[in-house]
Amino acid sequence: MELSTTKTVKKTVPIRWGEKRRIFRNNLDMYMLLVPGLLFLVIFKYVPMYGIIIAFQDFNIFDGIMGSAWVGMENFIKLTHSDEFRQVFRNTLLISVYKIVLLFPLPILIALLLNEARRMWFKRTVQTIIYLPHFLSWVIISGLFVNILATSGGIVNQIITSLGGEPISFLLSNDWFRSVLVFTAGWKETGWNAIIFIAAIAGIDQDQYESAAMDGASRLQQMWYITIPGIMTTIVLIFILRIGGLLDAGTEQILTMYNPVVYETSDVIGTYVYRIGLGKMDYSFSTAVGLFNSVIGFILVISGNKLSKRYTGRSIW
Amino acid sequence: MIKKRFGDRVLDIVVYFMLALFAASTLLPFANVFAKSVSAEWAVISGKVGLLPVDFQLDTMKFVVTSSPFLKSLTVSVTITIVGTILCMLLTAVTAYPLSKRHLPGIGFILLLFVFTMLFSGGMIPNYLLIRQLGLMDSLWSLILPALVGVFNLLVIKSYYENLPESLEEAAKLEGAGNLRILFSIIFPLSGPVLATISLFYAVYFWNDFIGPMLYINTPALKPLQLYLRDIVMDADTVQMGINRSVDDMMNITPEGIRAATVIASTVPILLVYPYLQKYFIKGVLIGSVKG
Repeated sequence: MELSTTKTVKKTVPIRWGEKRRIFRNNLDMYMLLVPGLLFLVIFKYVPMYGIIIAFQDFNIFDGIMGSAWVGMENFIKLTHSDEFRQVFRNTLLISVYKIVLLFPLPILIALLLNEARRMWFKRTVQTIIYLPHFLSWVIISGLFVNILATSGGIVNQIITSLGGEPISFLLSNDWFRSVLVFTAGWKETGWNAIIFIAAIAGIDQDQYESAAMDGASRLQQMWYITIPGIMTTIVLIFILRIGGLLDAGTEQILTMYNPVVYETSDVIGTYVYRIGLGKMDYSFSTAVGLFNSVIGFILVISGNKLSKRYTGRSIW
Repeated sequence: MIKKRFGDRVLDIVVYFMLALFAASTLLPFANVFAKSVSAEWAVISGKVGLLPVDFQLDTMKFVVTSSPFLKSLTVSVTITIVGTILCMLLTAVTAYPLSKRHLPGIGFILLLFVFTMLFSGGMIPNYLLIRQLGLMDSLWSLILPALVGVFNLLVIKSYYENLPESLEEAAKLEGAGNLRILFSIIFPLSGPVLATISLFYAVYFWNDFIGPMLYINTPALKPLQLYLRDIVMDADTVQMGINRSVDDMMNITPEGIRAATVIASTVPILLVYPYLQKYFIKGVLIGSVKG
């Protein structure tokens, strides 16, 4: 009985293994090509993931991960009770939601407008201009806006005062700072984000327009009944992707623009992690905040992708 | 059908007007800041500069682009961008090849290991601690090594390889060529467009990287342009900048003008390569969106 079982095992499993090993050995040089990439992946991606365990420690840089004391969920309990964190979380959601609500429709509008503009030179020129800010760093964009929004000598405030208003210190005002963030984010990326919709419009079957025109549909009607439905899957897909990034309210942007006066309204999870971790050297708590962020982000992206698969039949991977 | 309808003509006007408005709102901030950077001191101070330069001068610009911290940080940025892009391209283009052979055992799993890092990462502090542990603080390698393989870029190149005709590889194999040989003498030459696109992705990443230097670089001499620019914009310590300058040089110069000129000078390198960027980036974005 025993003998026969081992025999059958030998017959099935080892043969598959042998086949795989043969392929592996024949392509050894192919696998060798993976070594540097895997080395990179382990050191710079997976080792930091292992480093996350300091979120469950009272980490001390001199004792290292091995020598630091374990504290279990203490950092997460601290996090849920922290008023500061609650404020930061609120800021993150608010800024993100403002950006989505106000900025998401703009690239679609730009794509529709560009589709209606028939003069090629005009279209090209507009596209060349509006794609440009995408390639500039946030530091440069901040530099530009710090300049034009300055209270003394900034052109925006000059216009305000010449119209009889009081100068507004946009970058030092908790009432204004979020609006500045939303506006500059739109200014930088709207043109670029239109590309995906322009491509989607280009993919619509042209015959539909011809027959609609024959039936006497105006261009506005064609836009409404052909173009918009034609790019609807793309719109839904991009929207879901955007929701997946909900917790990234623009860390790099805010880091280059904000200052302690406006922390109250603009400190978001990403900037908070930086301030607590590297400013106050509270590595463990900061990592706990980061982990909280990554886990929710992960869930959002995965569920977004599921949704997208179900409703549009397209997914990110 | 030749005669345009009234409604369509109104639509035309609205379309051209709105697009022009949008393009203008993109250009105006640049125009204003550029005008400031080349206008005379009195005009900048009294707030007379709008969209056109007033009493044109190049002193501020000259002062900014010849100041040694600017030139140093420019050199640092150029170095990182060139070295970083070359290393990234080598590693990414090579790694993508075995990953494009999905039929090989284990490849699917390794691919999953890469993709997972797109969705989940250690985060800022564990990365920072790793760089410290590796002794890379205040080294330019701290900016290059953690970025060597961008997974998105890897996937774009991989899917390009997958779409190459297999017959060429098979023919080479019959001649007895090894996989490495095939990669370098057949696959790479056929992948020119995608490799060019991804190189630009990496180059722009390195050029614009700000968070990396902010976390890992403290030595002033090693600060890339973005970090230097931030220092200038946030608190222009112009007195210190001008400390070795003669009074003559300072004649036309205001802190505001210096800030404006530094912003403009940092924008120029991107403007110079912009035609290529625009062309290849759009291709790359579309490849990535069709098959991610």
